[in-house]
Amino acid sequence: MSDSMAEQKKSAWQDYKLIIENGLWKNNQALVALLGLCPLLAVSNNAINGLGLGLATLFVLVVSNTLVSAIRNLVSDEIRIPVFIAIIATMVTIVDLTMNAYFHSLHGILGIFIPLIVTNCAILGRAEAYASKNKVDRAIVDGFFMGIGFLIVLVVLGGMREIIGNGTLFDQAHLMFGESAKAWTIHFGKDYQGVLLAILPPGAFIGLGLMIAFKNYMDQKKTAKLQNQLGIKVAVNG
Amino acid sequence: MNPLTSPFTHNNQSVRKVMLQVQIAAFPALMTHTYLFGFGIVVQWTLAVVTLIVVESLMLKLRGRPIKPYVTDMSGMITVTGLVFCVPPEAPWWIIVTGSSFALVFGKHLYGGLGYNPFNPAMLGYAFLLISFPLQMTQWTLPASLSGHSIGFIESASYIFTGQINGVTVDALTGATPLNEVRTGLSQGMSVQDSLTNEVKSKAYGISSWGWVNVAFLVGGLWLLLNRTINWQYPVGFLGALALISFVFHQYDPDTYPPVMFTLLSGGTMLAAFFIITDPVTASTTPLGKLVYAAGIGVLVYIIRNWGAFPDGIAFAVLLMNIAVPLIDLYTRPRVFGHKGKI
Amino acid sequence: MPTMRTSKLSFKQLIMAMFTSAGKLVIFVLISIILLLVVRFVTAPVIAEAERQTLLNTFDQVLPNNLYDNDPLENQMQITDTDYLELLGTTEPVIIYRAYNNNQPAGVIFQTIAPNGYSGNIYILMGVFPDGRVSGVRVIKHAETPGLGDKIELAKSNWILEFSGRGLRDENRTRWAVKKDNGDFDQFTGATITPRAVVGAVKNALTVINDMRDKLYE
Repeated sequence: MSDSMAEQKKSAWQDYKLIIENGLWKNNQALVALLGLCPLLAVSNNAINGLGLGLATLFVLVVSNTLVSAIRNLVSDEIRIPVFIAIIATMVTIVDLTMNAYFHSLHGILGIFIPLIVTNCAILGRAEAYASKNKVDRAIVDGFFMGIGFLIVLVVLGGMREIIGNGTLFDQAHLMFGESAKAWTIHFGKDYQGVLLAILPPGAFIGLGLMIAFKNYMDQKKTAKLQNQLGIKVAVNG
Repeated sequence: MNPLTSPFTHNNQSVRKVMLQVQIAAFPALMTHTYLFGFGIVVQWTLAVVTLIVVESLMLKLRGRPIKPYVTDMSGMITVTGLVFCVPPEAPWWIIVTGSSFALVFGKHLYGGLGYNPFNPAMLGYAFLLISFPLQMTQWTLPASLSGHSIGFIESASYIFTGQINGVTVDALTGATPLNEVRTGLSQGMSVQDSLTNEVKSKAYGISSWGWVNVAFLVGGLWLLLNRTINWQYPVGFLGALALISFVFHQYDPDTYPPVMFTLLSGGTMLAAFFIITDPVTASTTPLGKLVYAAGIGVLVYIIRNWGAFPDGIAFAVLLMNIAVPLIDLYTRPRVFGHKGKI
Repeated sequence: MPTMRTSKLSFKQLIMAMFTSAGKLVIFVLISIILLLVVRFVTAPVIAEAERQTLLNTFDQVLPNNLYDNDPLENQMQITDTDYLELLGTTEPVIIYRAYNNNQPAGVIFQTIAPNGYSGNIYILMGVFPDGRVSGVRVIKHAETPGLGDKIELAKSNWILEFSGRGLRDENRTRWAVKKDNGDFDQFTGATITPRAVVGAVKNALTVINDMRDKLYE
């Protein structure tokens, strides 16, 4: 009995590790699955906007994954999708109302993209592909790290565009963290003109393209290294 | 591989010959430009060529390609030369440097080098500059006849690098182009004719300085046509469509829409007609496709000039039609005997 | 799979399966609705207050809120006269928010539109003191070219502050223009149309306010 429990625990840890790796890198929803690009491209014109939308998406992902996994044995195939949609839409509306109430200015800037989280395929995608087939604990971890992976891309892309296009980083942080955060803004060069292209929509596409290219480059390098190490082994086995 | 979209095996000799001819054809325009606007363009061109050599070598090295044959094939030269004519002669040095770098890196090398780029690199660089630095890109040096001050080489260089010229206020030297003046005039309820007669003092033989640069491009372009370096479909389709649409609108309401001659001889019209849209890599390659492609650019240029947010629409029109090229090629492909269905 | 299974079911079982599925769906939707109603009930007053506060903060920029002690949101009047509305760049009635200090008029706040910008309407919020001087002007919404015309935003340049304290009188009417048109206001390098449109709109709005002066605080 205790043996099988220890085994279970071990396999859970292995699962978690795999989930984390998938969420942050291997199956990153933005860089690999290319899901949720509409909000990603639209609001990533500075780091704080990216953080705001990233956190909202993260929250919705975790809660919807949890609930979907919890009820996965209750709903039959016929009503599965409508129920998932109802759960996601409810969560998004709750986030929308809460942000409107307590982060009013940030909500004003993110605007339509908060309610549009409903249409972010990454969320329904995780509910359908993972949460509806796995235990609650794994679904939570999956939702959390998929969300974190998405959030990191949003913040990095937003930060890149802000630095190049505006010469600042964490501008408007006070919208999220209160007045004291006004001092967080980092200015790069007083006379910096700013490459407007980076802030405008084309900059989002170019920036995301560069990030995907960077990820592929890193993967390629890793594979090449691995092949080098295994080179002899493969040759012997072959 | 589709045989109709130039696969461009790197035949260095012939590429270089064509490119050299194009360079020579641009020479009259360069001379006219220098005569009318001063030596700014020479400084800009030198800067662009230095940038070209540095960026090309760096990118080729990163991509693991031999440097010498590719740098000397002159294609990058055409790109930066085209771009130089789009940049105000007295723009700060970093304008042409960032513009050329963007054109070469994002417009050419990231797509896999010459022959694989879907967008015209010069126009990509121009669009990048227009969007990123609208302020610097709309301040044109006024012709010497307007500002009463002709700018020498040293003065130009000093202004481009330091932003200052001894003893002259910069506002006296720069101003809006005729295309811009017409837009500004219209917003005030001025008719196009009134705006244009305001320009009259800068005219020689009834053509403005900007017009004369266009004429010089026309001359060089006709030489290229006679040489058969470029196909007739491009300039004819482009200028024909542009002339037709501006004729129709000018007839309909002469107060709001400028006359045909003005449309043809302002902005980058002639530069685009003979030097930009004729780029074989990014243009349509079927005979009918060439006409459709060029005419599409003509119509878009007119639309953007009159109703868009930027005074001249060459860059955006060319890029938009660039992306339509595969579709145009697909529908205008000549029937090949002995082949069925997809080639 | 589902079709395989249903084909084996009897009619009665099929009906049963339909009802359980539908029933579960209804329950889930009901839970969602109840949850949303609760959240809405909790947040609605907070949102209303936040919206009010945001509006008052914007008002504060064009008419400092230490100059009045009433709630201008509660003290409104409407302009419906079509001649006035044309000068304000709209056909919809314009709301004038009135500010009082110790029951003495302290100023009005309203929105006007510059219809002749480089690209589309420019929406302007402005405040005017009872003596006809401008207390402040801000651009709320516009689509001018980034990098050129967007200097009308306070975030990009201080230009919009040039209006504060100016009034429109017969003798200075021609000074209400950009410098290029021999007026007092700076234009932007590379963009004349945008500042010209804003100056024109503020001038027109002041014409309306001057004309209405007596009726404004009735």
